[in-house]
Amino acid sequence: MPDRLDPRFDLSFTLNGAPVDTATTTATTLADLLRDRRDGRGTKLACERAVCGACTVLVDDVPRASCSVFAFEVEGSAVRTVEGLTHDGELSSVQAAFADNSAFQCGFCTAGMILLTEALLARDPDPDDATIRDWISSNICRCTGYNLILEAVRDAARRKREAGQ
Amino acid sequence: MTDMPLRTIGRPDRRIDAGEKVSGQATYTADIDLPGMLHAKVLRSPHGHARIRSIDAAAARAMPGVHAVLTRDETAVIPMPVYGYFIKDQPIVATDKVRYEGDIVAAVAAVDEGTANRALAAIRVEYEPLPVVTDLESASDPHAAELFEDAPVGIVPKYGQGASGELRPRRNVCYRFSYETGPADAFADCDHVFEDVFHFSRMHHFHLEPFVCVADWSREDRIELWTSCQNPFPVRKEIARIFGMAENRIAVRVPYIGGGFGSKNNCKTEPIALALSRIAGRPVRFCLTLEEGFLTNTQHAAILKVKTGVMQDGTLIARDSEILLDSGAYSDGSPLVAEKAGYRIPGPYRYKRIGTDCYCVMTNTAPAGPFRGFGGTQTSWACESQIDMIAHRLGIDPYEMRRKNLIDLGEPFVPGESGMDSDLREGLDLVVRELGYRRRDELKDDGPVKRGMGLAIGFKDGGGVNKPALARVKVSTNGDIFLQCGTAEIGQGAHTALSSVVAERLGTDRARVRYMPVDTDHSPFDQGTNASSAISVMGQAVDRATLAVRRQILDFAAEMLDCPADELELVDWEIRRGNEAHPLAPMIMGYYGGTGWEFVGEGFHKAENSHAAPLEAPCVFWEIGWGGAQVAVDTETGKVTVEKLFVTGDAGRAIHPLACRGQDEGAALMGLSQALFERMIYDGSRLVNGDALTYRVPLADDLPEDFRSITQEQGHGPGPFGAKGMGEGGMLPVASAIANAIYDAAGVRLTELPLSPERVLAALAAKDAE
Repeated sequence: MPDRLDPRFDLSFTLNGAPVDTATTTATTLADLLRDRRDGRGTKLACERAVCGACTVLVDDVPRASCSVFAFEVEGSAVRTVEGLTHDGELSSVQAAFADNSAFQCGFCTAGMILLTEALLARDPDPDDATIRDWISSNICRCTGYNLILEAVRDAARRKREAGQ
Repeated sequence: MTDMPLRTIGRPDRRIDAGEKVSGQATYTADIDLPGMLHAKVLRSPHGHARIRSIDAAAARAMPGVHAVLTRDETAVIPMPVYGYFIKDQPIVATDKVRYEGDIVAAVAAVDEGTANRALAAIRVEYEPLPVVTDLESASDPHAAELFEDAPVGIVPKYGQGASGELRPRRNVCYRFSYETGPADAFADCDHVFEDVFHFSRMHHFHLEPFVCVADWSREDRIELWTSCQNPFPVRKEIARIFGMAENRIAVRVPYIGGGFGSKNNCKTEPIALALSRIAGRPVRFCLTLEEGFLTNTQHAAILKVKTGVMQDGTLIARDSEILLDSGAYSDGSPLVAEKAGYRIPGPYRYKRIGTDCYCVMTNTAPAGPFRGFGGTQTSWACESQIDMIAHRLGIDPYEMRRKNLIDLGEPFVPGESGMDSDLREGLDLVVRELGYRRRDELKDDGPVKRGMGLAIGFKDGGGVNKPALARVKVSTNGDIFLQCGTAEIGQGAHTALSSVVAERLGTDRARVRYMPVDTDHSPFDQGTNASSAISVMGQAVDRATLAVRRQILDFAAEMLDCPADELELVDWEIRRGNEAHPLAPMIMGYYGGTGWEFVGEGFHKAENSHAAPLEAPCVFWEIGWGGAQVAVDTETGKVTVEKLFVTGDAGRAIHPLACRGQDEGAALMGLSQALFERMIYDGSRLVNGDALTYRVPLADDLPEDFRSITQEQGHGPGPFGAKGMGEGGMLPVASAIANAIYDAAGVRLTELPLSPERVLAALAAKDAE
């Protein structure tokens, strides 16, 4: 509904490498902006308080809780979501590692965990166990007990190194 | 059947939902968007207990963008505007009273959630506050305020040998379940009788996908409902009853569910969304926040009083118990949880006498309901703590005490019950080996930091009570397989496991099987995805449906090939007869015509009714969680560090080993957090930590340094290929194993959860004062 108090304004950023030119309001979160797009429902909303990390996306390669980032904050930025990780139907190394290690159950935290892992491995291609635990501790998984996720992260790191990525 | 090696069962391949879930393509109810869809929000009571004097929603109704407002004025015309399992006591929106902080008073559907919230803020409600009831032990005192002055409609189900139930046995108690076997005077023959009291904390499920549904009742004679719900058929029945609709006019669809852990059984968001949709004539999405989830369903806090008679040599003789479950303001699943808590309190041991009374105590707090373990977590905490306490009092090693009294493989739990389908000693010995329990005397203390180990065996009857299941398997001309059944994929891996059974039996790859969407218009009837029943109950129906369709295919081929069917094998959609291979598609089109055909098999399973069984049907399988912990107790700060946690369940046969492992470890971590820190904290009737930041759930950082599980495959399960259910057992032993380890380390016994530093220090101080 048009709102005199919260007028629409233009917003430009790249989403998974493609330019997006859209209109938004000051009150719109990045998560809502993404989820309102036809192809944006892979980003999940759970706590909406920047605690659980289910809504994690990468903004200029930094993991951010998109529930608590205003859409206007990404003006001119590069945003990556889970939808942008699969190329020509082929899963990224991290996605494949999560799939092969059954590092998910209900799947609601999975996109956030995978993007978190992408960011970790971009910074540190060979993280030690303490570093992995530390990073994964910024998101909540209620299902797995985390061991399978930690194993998937180690496996993803190995796959990326072997692929020379 | 074939004696070829298994090609799907037991392999560490990808789950069938892996691709969709890691690529963000999996659809959940929260993702569904219909044209013209409105958004609902609700107004909640700020009082724990109050009479509603008046509600004025005129301003809300007049606001632009508001399409429907629901108060008691609107629900008055709904045929039966209350719901619940055994007891129909929860109103769609409050009528005469509110009974907890968070009770729903009004609902609005508007063009967006912001507009709906603004409209709610314009609703004026006048309350007359009443005294609150929050204490389990004084709730039945004559002067205690009463949550329900009049008896809501309720039923007591039929029970078998030794079991009974009663509605409203006393003030503020909505249900009592009792069980008795053996002579009450058995205590007289005991060398010792020990009475101990245990307090159990209360958690929220904290499923990441919120309670959410999308309801479309824009056409008067048709309801379409997408919901994040574990039991679509019972929800359909409840909606039909509430609104007076025919069940064949109601379609309930369940996409992927983003976690539930028990909370997503029966009506939650659905009645409000439907009522709003009817008023507005448009589809309505009703998605709760995570904070509202805390106000919607919780685990049962409990007080468990356990009296156990034992001989000097450690032989258990008798156990009488009284259990008080904090049921919150509405009955929800409490009577069923009471049945299970009351039934499971003896643990997996042999007695001459068992007597239990379990009470559902109503308090002015959020409604409690099903939660992973379903009463078994409460009883395993009390049972396994007390077994240790008795062992120490008698000077017996707790391991030996357990070993001596465990039920044997095949031995009925109680008269009329099914036999134990796991070798309990085998599981216990596995824990002892993996933990290094026999060498625990060699554990080194570090000054004030004391180390010790503890064991526990969690126990529950699995597979639900009297649970029917029906499945349908269709195979097309090209050998494409449709699996239709009502089991929801809530994360547990059921769709993978059930599809694996079909693929294995039909001699093909699992990729050929499609698990069809769960939709009450098309899926065969199912009671619900709960009680670890997917593989143990539905699995049997699926297996039978698959064998039925296989039989049809082989009989058809035998007729076409003019030979006996038992000479034929079905492999990769070819009929093999000795060295010959006959592709099925041309054979089918040759007989049925060029458009081909579908073979359809149905399979049914239900445990036989039996009045000899206390719960009217013998237990489908026994879900056992063996666990052991090594702790370090800092006697100066009271901090307990779990250094090792090992759990093991018996899958019977692990259909998908990684999924089994994930279930056990996820359950164990829930047990660990309940043991150490996770709980809902109430100050009177007010929940003070009902949000993601202050309610602490476990993170990867909370894992013990050594945290492992092993999935046993003892092979005695009733499910396909010897499978048993999984998913709850891993949680059951953890809290008591840790408490037992704390005693082993520091000589103090904690009987109240969580095992916090304050409680450890208080117990150490009390011990020093002795």
